[in-house]
Amino acid sequence: MTMASDTQMTQTQSRASQTATAKPTNWKRIFGLREMGVYYALLLLIFVLTMITTYLGQENYLSIQNLTNVIYQSSLTSIMAVAMTVILITGNFDLSVASVAALAAAVLVGNADAMGFWPAVALAMTVAMALGLLNGSIVQFVGINAFIVTLGTMTAVRGLVLIYTDGRSLSVKDPGVIAQMKAFESGKNDVFLLVVAAGIVCLALGIGSVIKSRSSGKSLRPAAVGTVIGGVILLLLALASGGELVVRTPVVYMGIFTAVVWFVLSFTMVGRRIYAVGGNSEAARLSGINVLRYKLMAFVLCSGAAGFAGVLFASRLRSINPAGLTGAELTVIAAAILGGTSLFGGAGSVIKTLAGALLLFSLTNGFNILNLGANWQGLIEGIVVVVAAAIYTVGNQGRAKGH
Amino acid sequence: MEKTSPIMTLRSVAKTFGNGTVALRGVDLDIVQGKVHGLLGANGAGKSTLIKILSGAFKASGGTISWRGQPVSWDSPKAANDMGVATIHQHIPLVPTLSVLENVFLGSTGAWRLASVSRKRFDELCERVRYWPDPDALAGDLSIGERQMVSILQALGTGADLIVMDEPTASLATDERELVYATVRQLSKVENKAILFVSHFLDEVMALTDQVTVLRDGEAVLRAETSTLDETRLAEAIVGKQIVELERAAEARIGPSAASGTPRLELRGLSSPDKLMPVSLSVAKGEVIGVAGLLGSGRSELIHAIFGADKDAVGDVLLDGQTLARSTAASVRAGIGLVPEDRMGQGLVPEFEIWRNLTLPALQGVSAFNMLPQPERERERGEEAIRMLSIKASSPDILVRELSGGNAQKVTIAKWMFSDVKLFLLDEPTAGIDIGAKTDILRLIRKLAGEGKTVIIVSSEFEELLAVADRILVMRDGKCIAERNVHETSEHELLLLAGGQGPKGQAVNGSGKAAGH
Repeated sequence: MTMASDTQMTQTQSRASQTATAKPTNWKRIFGLREMGVYYALLLLIFVLTMITTYLGQENYLSIQNLTNVIYQSSLTSIMAVAMTVILITGNFDLSVASVAALAAAVLVGNADAMGFWPAVALAMTVAMALGLLNGSIVQFVGINAFIVTLGTMTAVRGLVLIYTDGRSLSVKDPGVIAQMKAFESGKNDVFLLVVAAGIVCLALGIGSVIKSRSSGKSLRPAAVGTVIGGVILLLLALASGGELVVRTPVVYMGIFTAVVWFVLSFTMVGRRIYAVGGNSEAARLSGINVLRYKLMAFVLCSGAAGFAGVLFASRLRSINPAGLTGAELTVIAAAILGGTSLFGGAGSVIKTLAGALLLFSLTNGFNILNLGANWQGLIEGIVVVVAAAIYTVGNQGRAKGH
Repeated sequence: MEKTSPIMTLRSVAKTFGNGTVALRGVDLDIVQGKVHGLLGANGAGKSTLIKILSGAFKASGGTISWRGQPVSWDSPKAANDMGVATIHQHIPLVPTLSVLENVFLGSTGAWRLASVSRKRFDELCERVRYWPDPDALAGDLSIGERQMVSILQALGTGADLIVMDEPTASLATDERELVYATVRQLSKVENKAILFVSHFLDEVMALTDQVTVLRDGEAVLRAETSTLDETRLAEAIVGKQIVELERAAEARIGPSAASGTPRLELRGLSSPDKLMPVSLSVAKGEVIGVAGLLGSGRSELIHAIFGADKDAVGDVLLDGQTLARSTAASVRAGIGLVPEDRMGQGLVPEFEIWRNLTLPALQGVSAFNMLPQPERERERGEEAIRMLSIKASSPDILVRELSGGNAQKVTIAKWMFSDVKLFLLDEPTAGIDIGAKTDILRLIRKLAGEGKTVIIVSSEFEELLAVADRILVMRDGKCIAERNVHETSEHELLLLAGGQGPKGQAVNGSGKAAGH
């Protein structure tokens, strides 16, 4: 039941245009470091790397070949980081993703020969999601902090991997399974049309929203501006590719997964409630939201995404080393933090997380290209994460003072 | 020993916040050593802002502050403290994991944690206020009253000459209050300290203070010696003409059409272990039930049990004859809305805009295909709520954490105005908000009742209940001890009942246990 009758609506609109004159679009905020910092950082890094490679006379960094390569390298981490963003938004935390991914990979490799590829994938995903449910249940029903619980399960699940593999590498022997794994992971797809279509849709939606707020005299929303820019970038990418944009299958999975999560978070009731649950879980509960369900679902999603990443990882290598993916959870969390996700819940964007993951992998990639040696890499990555966090924190304080 | 020149003088101190809210419009205040100066005012009148300016937490945006005749400008609580101003805030910020001793000397600059010299100073402090807490007890284990006393020791420990006390007795039991009063008298009369005593309780202001300043809407509307005043005078100064409107609102009320079909709400033996004794109740459509009780009497627990927010609660809640499942989601679906006591902690998502908070319980109403919320429609709803409830906000895009108490409260109420809510549960809806907003909310409650909605309202301010309710339940120690028709009771009787001295020998179990912590 809405209380707004037609006459009231017109009144509302006229009021809105009055207030709009008093409150113009805050361009400074939309393009400020707080909102856009991670994109600036990514662009800056790409620019610097391009300059250096050009100067050194190496192969152009900005080639489609290299860019798609970076995206491919980041795809597993990105999938986990997108799910990590969701769990961080609900105010929880999951350190166990890399261990869960490794276990899923081990389960897949260990069973694929005997039961076939797809049943083994189903089993691996089930194991992963069950672990997510376990994590979530301990956190929500026993009431232990998620950091501690998943610190424990991270170690315990890694132990399970060792027990399951008996400390040795497992590999797939069956040629049929190997072929299926190749098809599942290593296929190449021309996504030119997809990118063009996505670019046009974003551009159209964004421009539509801009025109709408212009005509009704309201201030522009950051989301509208962001959609326009995103559309332009996608179209530029398509243009630069010259009609053929071939990416590996994991990139497609990552793109689809990110798009679905982004859509759910941004445009659905479920997404709104996820933010509310993280922003103030008691207020959400007293507004009639089943907080427990959303928090549990986030754990299951996070472990499910980890399981899927593990399946891709196993399919890529067609074998699993019990120490595989060790430490990946830190990269995953770093990507989410670089994307401005709040560790206290209630705020975060999967697109920015994606940019954060790309930033980290561009750094790695740049180190490789420039032959700078891996010794420096950890130091630089660490500094980047802390500087990003500092910018978000200081940016937030500045905003609070401004009001 | 009495000095005539004040230790602290405020001249036309004003404060305007960045978002345009004017909290103080030029306040003059003289605080004299050896006197207790009472500061009164409705919530939102500017008391808290004034205290924060005195304690260095805020900077005044206009006017001058003189300390011992010298103009001063503090930019941090530490600076104020060093000059000799100590503030005891309402929400006593002790470190719960440290001992009493360590809390008392939290601000001192010595290098060692457990210096024996601080123990000696602690004993001296205790001697001065004639109160001896266990120095090694953890602050987190203390009762509210004990913590209040520790804060007083803390303030004294800084060697302050002016002690600002922000509602020190607000959540204390009677004997704990007496202790605070005795300490205040001791400090002002014997030690010649100046004390600024902020309170809501007129009787304690009359009994304790020497001078009084009353703030209203950011201005000092009354400055006088306490001996020249009486409680009625104070009450008039605090509320201004608004109280007349409240009374008018009370007169305009028509009783509910009783005995019409199934009751809107029926409680059958609703109880919760250790918190709520079984309550059975039947409420008609359009009826307003007031729940009178002190803090810890089980009044909020009753509301939460009805709403299904208390997982341990047992018993049946029937809405329009239908038994409700015990979950908040089921209650919201059935048409119950809860406005909780702690509005920022329980009622609102602080980082959400007004519009996203408003539509949270009823997203379906603004969504396409029952799943995609339409932000444009939500913002229109925000505009409408702002207009309907006169929320002071320039647009629905303002974050709720930037709103003042009264306006934030209106948002928590407005959350429930856009769906088919049949039963409103309001837990202290008028606490901490200014009298204008208070009147608005009480009027709104009567309007809702007029539309056939049922309202259960909890309040510590019994005259409010008398103004707005049809029937009043009195709660104490988790029990519903009395039910009164509003025409047959008085504020006096309600106070006695809730405070534990039932005049007609009703259900007084003589435990004498004060409102719990």
